[in-house]
Amino acid sequence: MAGDRLRILLLVIVAASCAAGCASKRAYLWGDYDSVLYSHYANPQDSERYLERLGQIVQKAEVEKDKVPPGLYAEYGYALFEAGRPDEAITYYKKEREEWEESRVFMDKMIRNTQRLKENRPGPAPGGELPPPAGTTPGAALAGEAK
Amino acid sequence: MSRRRLLLPLLGFLLLCLGCAAAPPKKDYTAFRAANPRSILVVPVVNNTTNVEAPGLFLSTLPIPVGERGYYVFPVNMVKRVLEDEGLSDPNLVHTADTGRLCNLFGADSVLYVSIEAWTAQYMVFSTQVTVEFDYVMKDGKTGDTIWKEHKRVVYAPQQQSGGGSPLASLVAAAVQAAVTKAAPNYMPLARQANAEVINTPGVGLPAGPRSKEYGKDPGSGK
Repeated sequence: MAGDRLRILLLVIVAASCAAGCASKRAYLWGDYDSVLYSHYANPQDSERYLERLGQIVQKAEVEKDKVPPGLYAEYGYALFEAGRPDEAITYYKKEREEWEESRVFMDKMIRNTQRLKENRPGPAPGGELPPPAGTTPGAALAGEAK
Repeated sequence: MSRRRLLLPLLGFLLLCLGCAAAPPKKDYTAFRAANPRSILVVPVVNNTTNVEAPGLFLSTLPIPVGERGYYVFPVNMVKRVLEDEGLSDPNLVHTADTGRLCNLFGADSVLYVSIEAWTAQYMVFSTQVTVEFDYVMKDGKTGDTIWKEHKRVVYAPQQQSGGGSPLASLVAAAVQAAVTKAAPNYMPLARQANAEVINTPGVGLPAGPRSKEYGKDPGSGK
C-alpha cells in the first residue's frame, strides 16, 4: 500500500519535472505575448498599454541573440503605426525583414505603404495592395483582383 | 534502497513515454511533406459559438506553439488588422477566400484556419464543467490543398479527468483546475492545453518546421 503510494508520488514528480522542463525550453523569448494580445482584444481602447507591453517584450527578447520571436518586431511596428508613429513603425518592419526572410514580401508592402501614407495623407490603407473589400458572395473578395 | 530509488523514476518516465506513444493512429503526411512549408499565416478564428470573447482569446494563444514548432508565424494581430482594413473583418470571409491568393498577398507558404466549435461553461451544483472544441485546418498556398488537420475537444470538470488520461494530461488538468473557478472560468489554460496537444503530439501533430531542431526527424517534416 505504502509502496504504491510512493510509486504514484514519484510518477507525478517525474511527470511534473518533465512538463516543467518542456515548458521552459522555448526557442524564443515570447514573454506574455499571448496575454498581451488577449488583453488588447478584451479591452481595445487600451492601445497605449498594448504598445507599452509589446515594447517591453521586444526589449527583453532583444537582449539575447536569436531569441526575438517570429512576427514580434512587425507586431510592435504595427502598434507604433497605429499610435501615429510611422517612422518607428518602418524601423521595426525593417528589423522583421532582416531577421526573417519569410516576412520579406509582407514587410516590403507594409514599408512601401506606410511611407506612401506618411508622405501623402490621406492615401490607401497600409495594406493597400491587399485584396479589395469583400464582395457580395463569400470568397469573392480575393477573386476580384486581376491576376 | 538506492536501486529502488533509481528504478521508480525510470519506471515513471517509461510509463510517461508509453502514454505519449499510445496516441491515436498515425497520419498520412505525404501532402505535408510535398508542401514543406516554412511559414504559416494564422488567420482570424471563425467562431461557431455564442461566446464573443472566444475568437480573440483563442487567436492570442496560437502564435507561440506554432512558432515554437519551427515555423515563421506571421504577426497575428497585424494580419487581422490589415485584413480588416481591406474589408475582410469577417473571419468567415477570410476562411472561404482563395488560399493561394491569400498566401501570395502576404508571401506566406501556408495558412492555418482554426474554428471554435464549442466554448461553454456548464454550471452544476458543486462544480463547473468547461468544454472547448476546435477544428484546425492547414492549407498549402501553392495548391490550396489541405495538408494537415486536427480536431480537439477538451472537457474539464473538477473530480474528473480530461484528455486521454495519460499522466501528463492529468497533471495539466490539475494545473488547469486552479484556473477554472466556479465564478468566472478562465479559458486561457484550456486553449493553451488544446493547442499544445494538437500541435506537439507525435504522429498526429504539426510536423516540426525548418527552424526546429527536430526538423526532418519526426513523421511528416522535412523533404
